Amino acid sequence: MNKKIGFTCAYTPVPLIEAAGFSPFRIFPETKAPDQSGHLLHDNLCPHVKKVLDRALADDLPDLEGMVFINSCDAMRRLADAWHDARPNDKIALLDLPSGVNSLSLNFLSKEYERLAKMLFEWNDTDFSEEIIKDKINTWNHLAGVVKEIEGTMSNGYFPGYASGLQHIINTVATDLTNTALLMAQEYAQPKALASKGRVPVYIFGNLLFDPKVYDLFEDYNIHVTASDFCTSSRFITPIDSKADENIFTSMAISYLSQTPCARTMDTTLPGSIAQRIVEQAKMSHAKGVIGFTLKFCDPYLARIPMIRQALQKESIPFLMLEGDCTTGSMGQQQTRIEAFTEMLGV
Amino acid sequence: MMYEHFDNAVKGISKTLEQDPEGIHARKKYVLGLSKLGKKLYTKDENIAWCGVTAPFDLLSAMGVTSCFVEFVGAMLAATQTAGFFFEEAEDSGFATDSCAYHRAVMGAVLKNAMPEPDFIIGTSSPCTAGLAIVENFAKQYKKDFFILNIPQNYTKDTINYLAAQIEEMTHFVSDHTQRPLSKKKLSLALENFNTCSGIIKDIYELAKTKPSPVDNKILKDFGTVVALLMGTQEGIDICQAFKDELSHRIATSQHLASKEHIRLMWIQNRIQYPFPINEMLDDLGAKVVVDELNNVTWELMDPDNPFESIAKRMISIPFSMNTSERIKTMKNLATDYQIDGAINPCHWGCRQGTGARGLISKGFKDINVPVLNLEIDCVDSRNLAKGQIETRVEAFIEMLS
Repeated sequence: MNKKIGFTCAYTPVPLIEAAGFSPFRIFPETKAPDQSGHLLHDNLCPHVKKVLDRALADDLPDLEGMVFINSCDAMRRLADAWHDARPNDKIALLDLPSGVNSLSLNFLSKEYERLAKMLFEWNDTDFSEEIIKDKINTWNHLAGVVKEIEGTMSNGYFPGYASGLQHIINTVATDLTNTALLMAQEYAQPKALASKGRVPVYIFGNLLFDPKVYDLFEDYNIHVTASDFCTSSRFITPIDSKADENIFTSMAISYLSQTPCARTMDTTLPGSIAQRIVEQAKMSHAKGVIGFTLKFCDPYLARIPMIRQALQKESIPFLMLEGDCTTGSMGQQQTRIEAFTEMLGV
Repeated sequence: MMYEHFDNAVKGISKTLEQDPEGIHARKKYVLGLSKLGKKLYTKDENIAWCGVTAPFDLLSAMGVTSCFVEFVGAMLAATQTAGFFFEEAEDSGFATDSCAYHRAVMGAVLKNAMPEPDFIIGTSSPCTAGLAIVENFAKQYKKDFFILNIPQNYTKDTINYLAAQIEEMTHFVSDHTQRPLSKKKLSLALENFNTCSGIIKDIYELAKTKPSPVDNKILKDFGTVVALLMGTQEGIDICQAFKDELSHRIATSQHLASKEHIRLMWIQNRIQYPFPINEMLDDLGAKVVVDELNNVTWELMDPDNPFESIAKRMISIPFSMNTSERIKTMKNLATDYQIDGAINPCHWGCRQGTGARGLISKGFKDINVPVLNLEIDCVDSRNLAKGQIETRVEAFIEMLS
């Protein structure tokens, strides 16, 4: 059994973790640990960061060989700061992630990924091997391809339980191994049941929605999730175009920075492009409405909601905005609003 | 509205200064300088850039750009008690009430067309991603070009080179918009002015360390953050010199001995921006804020022969750019240098960057036996202010320190 490397952000290149001989372990904010993180940081931080820190403080984690943090937002920076305090013996890698995409930022991120790779191989006392990295990237890309296929099926028809199954696969690659998730995905690609009718097609987006049960709840609330864009959904399985550059790390940087970004990453030539992207994705997935689901206190997303709302309004696409706290309990509280939304959309 | 405010301030302060040409009046000269900048921002025919807090204002100034960080306007709206109107506008448009009120106020002003339209926008990833998100909203709203300076949080050769290259690229971006190339001569002069200011500011802070300190609770309020807007100019030098003269004069005339200073305090991050009599309250309690966290020179002198690298090093060296342990280390050094008895941390509601480190900061100060008062307060939005509660907590804290 490989030793585990913890991480929290979708910009973490899992193939590097596996190439160094580790298993990835994405720390989901799912815990019964007591709420202590507010004492070390502040209560007004996003529940993702707070619950992950609660897990660290309560030792509600498997054995970790180290942690990889990405400097993606203020709250994540604070989590990295607090980790030193909560688990002083952990090895920690903190990567700077540029906010915009240009040649300088790609070059810089390439160096950051290279730094991480060397660090990980060193942590495992293994010789650095670009060949192994490329091999792991191939498996990763293979998985990304199958996941895309599953998503295509999901957009074209409603198969009960299919969305939660996909999330289960994505969670497996985040907490186990790519090979394991790939086998699951290959078996899952073809739906076992026939397509059903009667659900309202809705596109959902936001930051964190990792619990497969939430997707079942959406179905209970009469929704067919046609596609989703979350840090914990297929966006996490970013295919890496190995041929984008001669340097494998530059290829990784290009792939991670150029593909569907999290709200914190911007295209400076098109300010607010996240809004247009969501409109396009909703249309492409044949959705009749859009639900935004973000965690409370998540500045990168919350600051973009007005522009997203405006863009959807312009296209006459109904929009429901929900704020949550990483628990299915918070979804329960939203049930009436979601059901009213689907009723309004009709079938 | 804001133009009138700045214009009135310029006229009023200029008149006061004319009536007492021999007087030092450092704070008045400082407010005058900022009001002139504010007036320019609201004047047509200027090249205007809205920026993030850590943008290189000296470099922009050398390129003939009138620039300012957007939070400055948020603070001004709060100080003039006009922010409420803009909060409502921003909130009605969907900006979350639990986001930073500096940003909400200024976003409301943009939506209400109360902000001057910029020629372009320069965002900075430090101090906060929330600020970057807001300037992206600016760029979308105004349909203006947008440049981001990514400020890495590690101080290494690679990160310095990366930021230096971005700064150089920014000069091309600016030139493309102003149709003026960067003048090396003007940049050298701006950096020399910056260095002169830095030297004087260091002297000011040395004077402030005197026990009892010649400062009062207001004189250096938010000075370090805001004076950066003027440091590349002769006006900046004159203002800094006035502060140095004023503190020296207070010491020379023993005024500092007459002031009540039973308790020496550090103020963490920013002050409260709307009218709230905390300074008077501290005066009454014999407590004096002798140092603000951001009143600190953390950079080396700028090298005019190597301008971009110098500016990059400066930008990364600002404690907010680096990780919290570096920030705490800097604060601990200040605590020792200024011999403080306690610190006040106004945990600005909605600030994940500064306030997000609340517990770590308290813990850091505990290591050096300095108590910290964490005030849960919104420094810009006074609508939910629990005045009595804040007063009681401050009184109890000072009593405990006494």
